[in-house]
Parts: sequence; structure tokens; C-alpha cells
Amino acid sequence: MAFRKPVSAIRMDFLIEGFIKAIGLLANGDPETFSAISATMTVSAYSLLATLAMGLPLGFCLGYFEFRFKNQVRVAVDTLLALPTVFIGLLVYALFTSRGPLGHWGLLFTLPGIAVGLTILALPIVIALCATAVEGSDRGLRVALISLGASRRQLFLSTLWEARHGVVAAALMAYGRVMTEVGIAMMVGGNIKWRTRTITTAIALETNKGEFAMGIALGLVLLGIAFGVNFAVSFLRKRH
Amino acid sequence: MGSPLYDIRGLAHRYRGRQALRIERLVLERGGIVGVMGPNGSGKSTFLRLMGFIERPTSGEIRFEGRPAGPFAPEVRGRVALLPQEPFLLKRSVLENVVYGLRIRRVNGPLEERAAQALSFVGLDARRFARRPSEALSGGEAQRVALAARLALQPEVLLLDEPTASVDALSAQLIQEAALKAQRDWGTTLVVASHDAQWLYEVSDTVLHLLKGRVFGTGRENVLFGPWQRAPGGDRWEKPLADGQRLVVPPPPEADAAAVIDELRLLGGDGPRAMPWPTGHTLSGVITRLALEKTSGNVRICVLVSGIPFTVVLSPRQVEEQGLFPGRRAVLGYDADAIRWF
Repeated sequence: MAFRKPVSAIRMDFLIEGFIKAIGLLANGDPETFSAISATMTVSAYSLLATLAMGLPLGFCLGYFEFRFKNQVRVAVDTLLALPTVFIGLLVYALFTSRGPLGHWGLLFTLPGIAVGLTILALPIVIALCATAVEGSDRGLRVALISLGASRRQLFLSTLWEARHGVVAAALMAYGRVMTEVGIAMMVGGNIKWRTRTITTAIALETNKGEFAMGIALGLVLLGIAFGVNFAVSFLRKRH
Repeated sequence: MGSPLYDIRGLAHRYRGRQALRIERLVLERGGIVGVMGPNGSGKSTFLRLMGFIERPTSGEIRFEGRPAGPFAPEVRGRVALLPQEPFLLKRSVLENVVYGLRIRRVNGPLEERAAQALSFVGLDARRFARRPSEALSGGEAQRVALAARLALQPEVLLLDEPTASVDALSAQLIQEAALKAQRDWGTTLVVASHDAQWLYEVSDTVLHLLKGRVFGTGRENVLFGPWQRAPGGDRWEKPLADGQRLVVPPPPEADAAAVIDELRLLGGDGPRAMPWPTGHTLSGVITRLALEKTSGNVRICVLVSGIPFTVVLSPRQVEEQGLFPGRRAVLGYDADAIRWF
């Protein structure tokens, strides 16, 4: 009578095997793995820069100023937080396809094209969280800054600086969202090997192929990047 | 002759539809000390925020040196500084807080020296306090650091909103001394809102009395608040006091209207029969404080009647003749028919 391993043991073996292979891929500098890492870092950096450049001023205005329909704008921004990524992918695809209104830009199946989609995804996050951070800052801050002679620009920068923990949290959350996004990258980027294949689209593809080692390796890289960013922020926060 | 420092015209300010301040015309000259007094909610803080160009009035204008000015106007930035009642310090060190205003104005030179000088104005040793985080300060120290940050700018106008209301006695004294030193040394125009009427009269060239958002007078008036109730068996109204005395007034326009006694007489320091007062009403109290008025040279006498402070102004000679001093009982006389309502 033949003895069979319990099912849970088989599962653990398979995960451990994948983990060991993953370390090998990273240690040996597997070019395909590093191509996906590079693409991910590029699109997330582009989209985060664009998101912060637009989202911080808009979030500041939304949190700082009182204006008509402010509540309605807040509801709209909060609603956009739940925007489905496949819908954004579809929207950006429709814009950038050769028959679309922006087709002549030639951004479909490119890294900048993915970055545009990811920016649309991350922008509501930064606006909403930045507005909340600014709203939560002390009412005395404005009085103090103006009475010390701050200009409008200095008021904006100093208020953001005082609300920096909330602003950094907004940036981190946006970064995490764009790093782990798969729908937009797949639809707009096309998952083209060596060109637009990101970590998440590669994981999806390798899993479908049954290449779990590569998938786990890329998953580990994602975790490592997230840890590195959080560690850096924590270090900077302690210094200040 | 140059333009006045402040020229306020037709100013009105509202918060959520409720009128907080209304001033038809007010002119303030430079270099003096202006005291602002009034009960809570009378519009003192609103007045100072508008004078400090923190907010724009709902309507009307504030001219600064003859020109209309508002928040962020270059002609007032860094020249007019407001110290609010609740001090706000940036989440940085004491030194960073004190030099913030200098940095954003791109002032050259040794900023640390100017910060140390400003801190010494308010009785803080820069060597001990400069590197301390603002979160580690006590309430009184935080208020003094906030004042030092304004003093470092050597402002032409310094607006202080209840600067000593929530600090210990030592901090209060140091804050008052520092503000007066800035006025003396740099010719800074001081505008101070305070409940401490006696101190305001001691140091101010002009005193404004705010009530329900309007400049009401010079603060010499005695203002009494309701609620009033109909006196038994007559057409008079009254306010029963805790010690059994009654403050008799003519019928008020509404039960919680504010009564104004323009003329209050001190009948003497020895009891109800010190001086005849056949036509009016009397109140008995205790003299709590004598203070010399800066401008008139007269003496303000504060008499506490069942917890309510009344103020009478006499010449120094009258005070001497009547032998008035704190702790002595005194009788006040007033004519109920001369009371007006606000």
C-alpha cells in the first residue's frame, strides 16, 4: 500500500520551491525579471510625479478653502476612489487607440501610456487624503503663518509641510496602488515582453503558464520595494 | 500731514450670516497703544483679525497708510503681526519658530542672534530654549515664544489678542513688558485686546469698548448685562444681586438687554450716609483696585458690588481727600432714569 503526502504538505513544498527559485532568479540577475522590475519602477515613478504635481495643489484647495459645492466635490472625489481599474484601462485604451481622439500621440502599448492610466487611478487618492490632512491641520496655523508675513505660496508650502505626515501617507497609498495595479497595465500596456511587461502583468502571465517561481520572485520584489519605501519614510520622519 | 495708520470705513463682517462686527468709521494713528475691551463675543478677536489682515471684511475697507489693504498685500506683509489668544507654534524647534518670519522675508544676517534677542525680550534664554521642540513647551512658554516670533520681525503694528488670558502670572508680566518695550524702542503701534481693563487704562493712549460687534465708547461706561425682571409693585425693573442688593433700572427693550450707566458717582468710602443721594439709587461694594489713567492722569477706581465690577474715575486729589484705597467699602450712586440701553 503506497503512502501519499498530505495535501497541505504538497502545497508548502510548492511554495518553498517557488521561493528558492525566486531567490535564484534575483541573485543571478535574470534579465526578464529585471525588465519587469524596471518597467514597473518607471511607470510608477512617472505616474506618482504627475499625481503629486496635480493632486497636492488640488487636495490643498479642497481641504483649505470654503466654496460653494465643496461637499459635492468631496463626494465626487471620494466616489472616484472606487473607480474600477479595468474601466480606467478601457477609457485610456479608447483614448489612445489609433481611432481614438489621442491616437496620434502614439501612447498605446507604451510605458507613458500606462503611466497616464495609473495617474488617473492615483489622483483621487492623493486629492482626498491631502484634503483630509489639510482640513485636519490646526485652524491657528493659517493665522500664525499670515501674521508672520507668509505669501500665498509660502502659506501653501508651509501648510503642506505641517500636514506632512498625512501628505506622505497619501503619497505612499498612491504609490502602493499604482505599484500593484494590473488591469490598466494589461489593457493599455499590452503586457509586451521586454517593453511594457510590469511586475503585476508578469505575475499574472507566469501564473497562467504555471511558472510559479517567477511569479513568486516578482511578488517578493514588490514586497521588497514596499518595505524599502516605508523604511525610508519612517527614517525621514524620525530625522524630522 | 501724512495718512493715518489705519482708516476703517463702513466695515462689516459676518460669520455664516451672523454679524460679528460693524464699524462705520475709525481712525488710528501710529505709534500709540490702543486698548480694546469688551465681554466675550463682543467682536474683539474679529476686530484684531481684520486689523491684522488675516481675513477680508465682508464689506467696507481698511486703509493702511492711506491705501486699501487686505490679506497678503505687500504693504502689510511682515509689518503687521497678530498674536492670537491661542498661540500656534509650528512643529519645529523654538529657534525655527522664531526665525520663520525672518526666513520667509529673506532677511540676511545672523538670524540666530535676532532670535536670541527676541527670546530675551520675553524672558527666555536662547541657550536653553532654542533647540527645544515646540511640543515640549508649557502654555506660558509657548505664548512667549509665539510673541518672540512676532518681535523678531520688529513689526510696525503688533496686535495682541488676550495675550495674558491663559498664562501664569510670570508669563503675563513678561508678555506685557515685552510688548511695551517694543512700543518704546521701535515705535511699534500696539493694539491690545484684554479683559484687564485696569491694565489697559494704565498703558493705553486710546481705549475702545466693543459691545455686540460695535465700537461702543471709550470703556469708561459701566455696562451691565441682564437678565432683568419686573420689580414687584411698580414700573421699574431690576436685577437681584447675590448679596441681596437690587440693581434698579427703567423698563428694558428686552429682558437680556445691556444697560449702560454713563454717570456713576462714588458717594464715599464710609457707608451709605457718606454723601446725600436723594434722587438716585445706591449700591454698596468694596474697592478692589486703583489705577492711574495714562492719558488723563485721573484715577480709575474699581468697586466690586456682589461680584460685578463697577468703575468710577476721580482726580488724584479727590481720591486723597476721600481716603480711598483697595479693601475699603464704598457706596456708589446712580440715577436709574439716566440709564440707556444698548
